[in-house]
Amino acid sequence: MQRDHTQKKRREPLVYITKRSELSLKQSLTIRACVILAGILLCALVTILLTGVNPLRVFASMIEGSFGTPRKIWNLLQSTAILLGISLAVTPAFKMRFWNTGAEGQVLVGMLASVACMFYIGDALPSWLLIIVMLFASILASAVWAGIPGIFKAMWNTNETLFTLMMNYVAMQLVSFFIMLWVPSGSMVLGIVNPQSKNGWFPSLFGQQYLLNILIVAVMTILVYVYLKKSKQGYEISVVGESENTARYIGINVKQVIIRTVLISGALCGVMGWILVAGADHSITSNSVGGNGFTAIMISWMSKFNPIVMIFSSILVCFLQKGAGQIASDLRLNSSVGEVLTGIMILIIISSEFFVNYRIHLRKKQKGGQEA
Amino acid sequence: MSKTAIELRGITKRFGSVVANHNVNLKVYKGEILSLLGENGSGKTTLMNMISGIYHPDEGEIFIDGKLAHIHSPHDAFNYKIGMIHQHFKLVDLFSAAENIVLGLEEKGKFNVRHVSERVAEISAKYGFDIDPNKKIYEMSVSEKQTVEIIKVLYRGADILILDEPTAVLTPQETKKLFDVLRRMRDDGKAIIIITHKLHEVLELSDKVVVLRHGEYVGTVNTAEANEHILTEMMVGKKVELNITRKAPVNPQDRLVVEHINCRNREGIKVLDDVSFVARSGEILGIAGIAGSGQRELLEAIAGLQKLEEGSILYYNPKTGEEENLRNKTPLQIRELGVRLSFVPEDRLGMGLVGNMGMVDNMMLRSYRKGNSIFLERSEPEKLAKQIIEELEVVTPDAETPVRRLSGGNVQKVLLGREIASSPTLLMAAYPVRGLDINSSYLIYDLLNEQKEKGVAVIFVGEDLDVLLDLCDRILVIGNGRITGVVDARTATKNEIGYLMTKTVYKEDANDAT
Amino acid sequence: MKKLISVILTLVLLVSCLACFSACSGGKAGFKVGFIFLHDENSTYDKNFIDAANAAAKALGLDEKQVIMKVNIPEGSECYDAACELVDEGCDLIFADSFGHETYMIQAAKEFPDVQFCHATGTSAHTEKLPNFHNAFASIYEGRYLAGIAAGMKLNEMIANGKITAEQAIIGYVGAFPYAEVISGYTSFFLGARSVCPTATMKVEYTNSWFDIALEKSAAERLIGSGCVLISQHADSEGAPKACEDAKVPNVAYNISTISIAPETALISSKINWEPYMKLIIEKTMDGKGEEIPYDWCGGLAEGSVQLTELNAKVAAAGTQEAINAATEQFKAGTLKVFDTSKFTVKGATLTEYLADVDGDFKGETNVIHDGYFDESAKDQRCAPYFDIIIDGITVPAAN
Repeated sequence: MQRDHTQKKRREPLVYITKRSELSLKQSLTIRACVILAGILLCALVTILLTGVNPLRVFASMIEGSFGTPRKIWNLLQSTAILLGISLAVTPAFKMRFWNTGAEGQVLVGMLASVACMFYIGDALPSWLLIIVMLFASILASAVWAGIPGIFKAMWNTNETLFTLMMNYVAMQLVSFFIMLWVPSGSMVLGIVNPQSKNGWFPSLFGQQYLLNILIVAVMTILVYVYLKKSKQGYEISVVGESENTARYIGINVKQVIIRTVLISGALCGVMGWILVAGADHSITSNSVGGNGFTAIMISWMSKFNPIVMIFSSILVCFLQKGAGQIASDLRLNSSVGEVLTGIMILIIISSEFFVNYRIHLRKKQKGGQEA
Repeated sequence: MSKTAIELRGITKRFGSVVANHNVNLKVYKGEILSLLGENGSGKTTLMNMISGIYHPDEGEIFIDGKLAHIHSPHDAFNYKIGMIHQHFKLVDLFSAAENIVLGLEEKGKFNVRHVSERVAEISAKYGFDIDPNKKIYEMSVSEKQTVEIIKVLYRGADILILDEPTAVLTPQETKKLFDVLRRMRDDGKAIIIITHKLHEVLELSDKVVVLRHGEYVGTVNTAEANEHILTEMMVGKKVELNITRKAPVNPQDRLVVEHINCRNREGIKVLDDVSFVARSGEILGIAGIAGSGQRELLEAIAGLQKLEEGSILYYNPKTGEEENLRNKTPLQIRELGVRLSFVPEDRLGMGLVGNMGMVDNMMLRSYRKGNSIFLERSEPEKLAKQIIEELEVVTPDAETPVRRLSGGNVQKVLLGREIASSPTLLMAAYPVRGLDINSSYLIYDLLNEQKEKGVAVIFVGEDLDVLLDLCDRILVIGNGRITGVVDARTATKNEIGYLMTKTVYKEDANDAT
Repeated sequence: MKKLISVILTLVLLVSCLACFSACSGGKAGFKVGFIFLHDENSTYDKNFIDAANAAAKALGLDEKQVIMKVNIPEGSECYDAACELVDEGCDLIFADSFGHETYMIQAAKEFPDVQFCHATGTSAHTEKLPNFHNAFASIYEGRYLAGIAAGMKLNEMIANGKITAEQAIIGYVGAFPYAEVISGYTSFFLGARSVCPTATMKVEYTNSWFDIALEKSAAERLIGSGCVLISQHADSEGAPKACEDAKVPNVAYNISTISIAPETALISSKINWEPYMKLIIEKTMDGKGEEIPYDWCGGLAEGSVQLTELNAKVAAAGTQEAINAATEQFKAGTLKVFDTSKFTVKGATLTEYLADVDGDFKGETNVIHDGYFDESAKDQRCAPYFDIIIDGITVPAAN
């Protein structure tokens, strides 16, 4: 009786999962390619089921949306630069396991500081000097915005996820307040600042107005990479992130590292706010960051905090976003269809990690395996 | 004769190749308190987990009320009216006592606070608990939390109660109160098993004692016929010779003088109580004690990781001949004073090393600050990693493989290797051979001896008394945060140490620990 | 493995061919129009524009390839990017629907002088004076005035039935922002109501958002709670009508008919119909006469730009339709002015002069009162409303 009972309990499950040992680069790339291919096929299936449109047309549209014309490629690069830049900005904090969900607000206050400079001293300074003043103002504003939850975390161990998240809403209200102040008509729309003089605008390089943005973010990518991988401070971030106890054990001042890293993270958000104002919008609304502060978190994790991998992740996500817009425009489909496809692809890519790390076994037919 | 509540026959449990319990027999009658006595790792908790449905025995049978029982889950155990009070409480902090008590209970109808409170009050009155059912858990003291756990089990109608080291977290006053309650429950006909290693409590409270040693069932004695010496001998067993070469200390000099240090944990309980001792160069000082008696706090205090209330930690620098007080200095300040202190903590991957980093990065933990450059210097650590791999025969694919992927012995070699590489004058190692196979253990002993011969003052916290007796020069015994004795390892016996370990000294001012 | 690679390669090839095909195929048609919308059709505001664009395209026989719509374009550089992309795709005319798009449209207009840029609700065309940038709006205040008449008749009916006293004829108004477009809107609505119910007064609540169901609903509930017996709105969600239906309070909405949402209480809605304007700009541009598009176009009742949705006979008082029809004729004939200065006072006095901020520098500079009325959306001024005076009988929140 009893034996039967235990036998039943110990039966092997139908499917079980084991961790893989190290895979070669080729193997892991093959797995990823297969998974992405499966994702494309799944998207095609979903498209047919949802809309009845030929999926090849949909894919063609997506590619058209990002690579159709040189301008579209530039616009893709610009969006990528913004998303990549914000992803780089959140990375030091996340690498330290500081859950900075406040990049949206940090970039926004950076933008606000830049716009305020343009608004108040836009005519008093030459453009190049104004741009530099804007940079420092933005860095300061964003660093303060990130530093407040950082200090609370370091000193009183408050929950940074909620704190930084709430700071986003404060930032949005702050932007609304200033727009209300600056636009007495009450329309809540600031519009482009200095449209005539273009004071505080980045110059076009070789006729490309986004080229400077892209170059700055490229430099930032290298700097963040070097900082995280090669510098002593970057090393300290890794140690604190992996194990606070170890950090204390080897004499790292954990509080100091937390505050310093969060300030750096915030400052980089400030740089991005500055780029958004001087290099793209020349204005601000409470929605100017447009969710990039949250998408950046996904990019950072998806890329395992590696700035080089982040370049590709950002391009991919921007490509999918642009593609979704193009589908809506070309095929007159609801834009949600594009978003569904984007969601499927991102989910698939993230899940490819699972297949890289684990192996799935089906139960073998022969019995008595539990004795082994 | 009263009736049997629960009986275990020939219980064996293995985890992989480790035998946690081997052929254990045990019998508890209704209206009886049984103590389960044994050193750390003797298999007490594993055994109780099998009764409460967390594990399932590989061999053997459990009888409840004389009938064969099949316990496959905590839920089954609950149906057999078995209740276990774990060492770590499983309560929801934001809920009240009453809410925690009914949590997970599948009762029909709506949750009625008043009804629950009434029943809680009834149980409290019957056994003499003192509890406010509406108080939130986070507002409670450790003893109150324990009370909630016990009432939770009684509320569910348990007749067999298992308490895992219930007094470890209590003050003497609270312990006394708990014992009163337990006695009342016994008189009410409940069967009670308490896991403990405090001999005086065993003698004071229980009717019967079952002793385990290294997972083996040693025997059962009636408390009335037992005394501390008999129990200690059953617990620690006969001395086993290990053949560890031990040389006499050469020219020992005071390296570290600890005087009257006191330390409280987050709950405000004294974990170090007026501790004083001396560690000398060229000598291995062993620290023996039941796990959790303050060993970790003691070493961390010396390493600058614990805040102390009183006392001093004086370090004599052999180079400069100067004397430094390390008390309440940070690890970095200690290093900056030129103190060559190496520390192999108990939690190797959680404190001593970073599991997700490779060996090279882990070597850098100690040395990365060197130099004025803002960038890391990797060639030295790489060299050191290679050297450790070679000299200590670390088995690893390469120096960049995350160390968490290595086996326990190799992890320890990496950690100890790094700590020794900085040529310390004081080396502290907490349980350095825990979880290691025999060969790796001997390698570690050799390394420690080598350091001793170099004139390093070595502090070795161990759990195996045979090892302590064969490896160390002197042994400090710690019990409940207090030094209960210092013995010469060359002449002391296992029994002597075992007795010191389980002896609890109460001072007149012990009540300030509340 | 080889098979897999060949499958992938074939797929890539196919996809890229198709991409090329779809990109090239549009080129043959001569004329193209591009639209930039802030949201998609899930927003009632944008849906109104999208429907009008589709109707105009259909009426003028444009095929699908000639009309490109970009949705969910935020009020930032994305708007400029979208406009440029539309130019690249060969659009001759580009239209944007949100106030915040304006400066980016101007930026693009300066860069592409050969393309016509039209923008709804904006205020800068008459100051920028670009030949290819145009603003448009509608004299929606006339529509609101007419809807106000329906509301006033309803109030009269309630007074006659003894449901309320004459003094209790309080109208609640859920406005988006304390901004001229909104102020002009509720003032015209109020004047319409008071033209038939002289004892009517009005309370205004702002939501500080163009679209927020919860805020609009709670604002309506607050107004009802403070004694308002009829609700109107100038915000884009159905929050307020829903609150009214729950509280059984008659209500007047904007841009969409709310009879299906509030069958027992919805009275009527005024709306802007953008189809006439869309037709105008497409025709002009197709004919190569883009410069002829007025830099500031204000459609009215006569053009069919301002419309009223179906009157809910179940709710409306008797004779409402007739009264509205009569007023409509008067508007068309020019004999009735919404902001007739003899019909309202400001702080007890009749307005004789008012410097409105027409050029958008936040300082009043143009006297817009002449011939006994406030000349809203005047022909030689700008189409977007600039009436921003709080008149007697209307209570607005103190601090805002």
